[in-house]
Amino acid sequence: MGSYMMVTILDVVISGLLLGGIYAVTAVGLSLQYGVARVLNIAHGEFIMLGAFITYSLYTRFGINPLICFAICGPLVFAVGFILYRTLFTRLRMSSPTPGAFEGNSMLACFGLLFIIQNVAILIWGADIKGYTYLAFPVDLWGARFAANRLVTLGFALAICLVFYLFLANTRLGKAIRAAAQDPDTAGLMGVRINQVLALCFGFGALMAGLGGALISISYKIQPTMGLEYTMIALIVIVLGGLGSIPGSFVGGLVLGLVGSIVTHIEPGLSLVAYYVIFMLLLLIKPTGILGK
Amino acid sequence: MLQIHNINTFYGKAQALYDLSLSVEASEIVALVGSNGAGKTTLLKTLSGLLRPASGRVVFLEKRIDGRPSYAVVEAGISHIPEGRRLFPDMSVRENLEMGAYLQRAWKQKGESLEEIYRLLPVLKAREGQLAGTLSGGEQQMVALGRGLMSKPRLCMIDEPSSGLAPVMVDEIFHIIEGLRDQGIAIFLVEQNVRHTLEIADRAYVIENGRIILAGKSEQLLSEELIRKAYLGL
Repeated sequence: MGSYMMVTILDVVISGLLLGGIYAVTAVGLSLQYGVARVLNIAHGEFIMLGAFITYSLYTRFGINPLICFAICGPLVFAVGFILYRTLFTRLRMSSPTPGAFEGNSMLACFGLLFIIQNVAILIWGADIKGYTYLAFPVDLWGARFAANRLVTLGFALAICLVFYLFLANTRLGKAIRAAAQDPDTAGLMGVRINQVLALCFGFGALMAGLGGALISISYKIQPTMGLEYTMIALIVIVLGGLGSIPGSFVGGLVLGLVGSIVTHIEPGLSLVAYYVIFMLLLLIKPTGILGK
Repeated sequence: MLQIHNINTFYGKAQALYDLSLSVEASEIVALVGSNGAGKTTLLKTLSGLLRPASGRVVFLEKRIDGRPSYAVVEAGISHIPEGRRLFPDMSVRENLEMGAYLQRAWKQKGESLEEIYRLLPVLKAREGQLAGTLSGGEQQMVALGRGLMSKPRLCMIDEPSSGLAPVMVDEIFHIIEGLRDQGIAIFLVEQNVRHTLEIADRAYVIENGRIILAGKSEQLLSEELIRKAYLGL
């Protein structure tokens, strides 16, 4: 009985970290887009969906290993995000009289993007639920059994967050991104090409969404309308972690994933409800988030 | 080295600067003094590309820089140390200084530049790992000065370095600024602290309602009747 209990706990924790790792990757992406580039990207989930379907097609059509697909779908989604910012959002930013107006205008534009991307995906892939099996054999871990693909997904999610964190902390561009998040005008005075850095941030946000989608496709079923749920969750996570805080999004993602896993273990239908309850409680008690000030 | 010709700048529809002209030469401290809202900060923002002039020309080292974005102005060799320090609060002192060396050519020498700044402002060395937002006002101003020097500028534009600081600290900051001039960096100093500023400046301009109303050598201005009455309370 005791060891059964331990196994159950291990199962719930690993599943929670897996979900949480995916939430963390996608939320860090949204945090970059909202915290730095000031675009509340309602179409974030659509970029996740694109990453998932690109990986799906590359694997099922051309037999390319999903883990190698990262190297293809990442840059692809990054380019979409970067070009979108350079063309659409930079223009919106210049024409909006205040930063507040830009936030509103860009959110509306993202609404449009959401429908465009979703419908194009339905045209290409059809509206059905899709999935594939990859590394589906079980692995024993201290008595609990997990599909190998889930463990690989978890490992990659944590690695992606770690690499990105090191990039922000240690590189010249990473520091420019953090500076631009704190004070864009002053970053400009330091010589940072602000329009370029904001576009890169939006691109990196899309990149994280794309990689998150690729990870999702390895362990879960996918469909063109899957985006909205992930957008909502990413929004909850960035508020949970404190708006604009990248480490906060990471921690928030893991926390929410664990909560989701525990609730699912008790009553599978209630995980989304639990997320919203947490979200409401947070807004009432500590609206600045876990790591917020 | 810096020539400003007939600059006009607007905030929306309101005109903030009127036909403003002035110049700064190498190795001098030129002050711009005037009361709150006279247009001092507006002028600096116009020079560093945060605002666009509606008309007029700005020439720095024989090159037009008016209407250029901020990064181009820094690349040309002008460093703007903004009002209110504007440090990056969630970065350490060292990272703030490193951001000052963001330009490609300065980034390569940021190690040596850091050593120089630490020699000039030793208190920063001791605070190196601390988050900039947690420093005292005087220390923050030192970081802002140090950060502004990391790009190895030919001209430093410093906006209200004395504001909010204790008199001892103001003396120290002004002493450092004099030292920069003696190293060959031209200084364009914007201040409300008129007496102190005129004591270290070589020349000064007085601005009121967006117009230059007086200009001359600092000693001259110190004895000027208008200045004595309006700004020194004598």
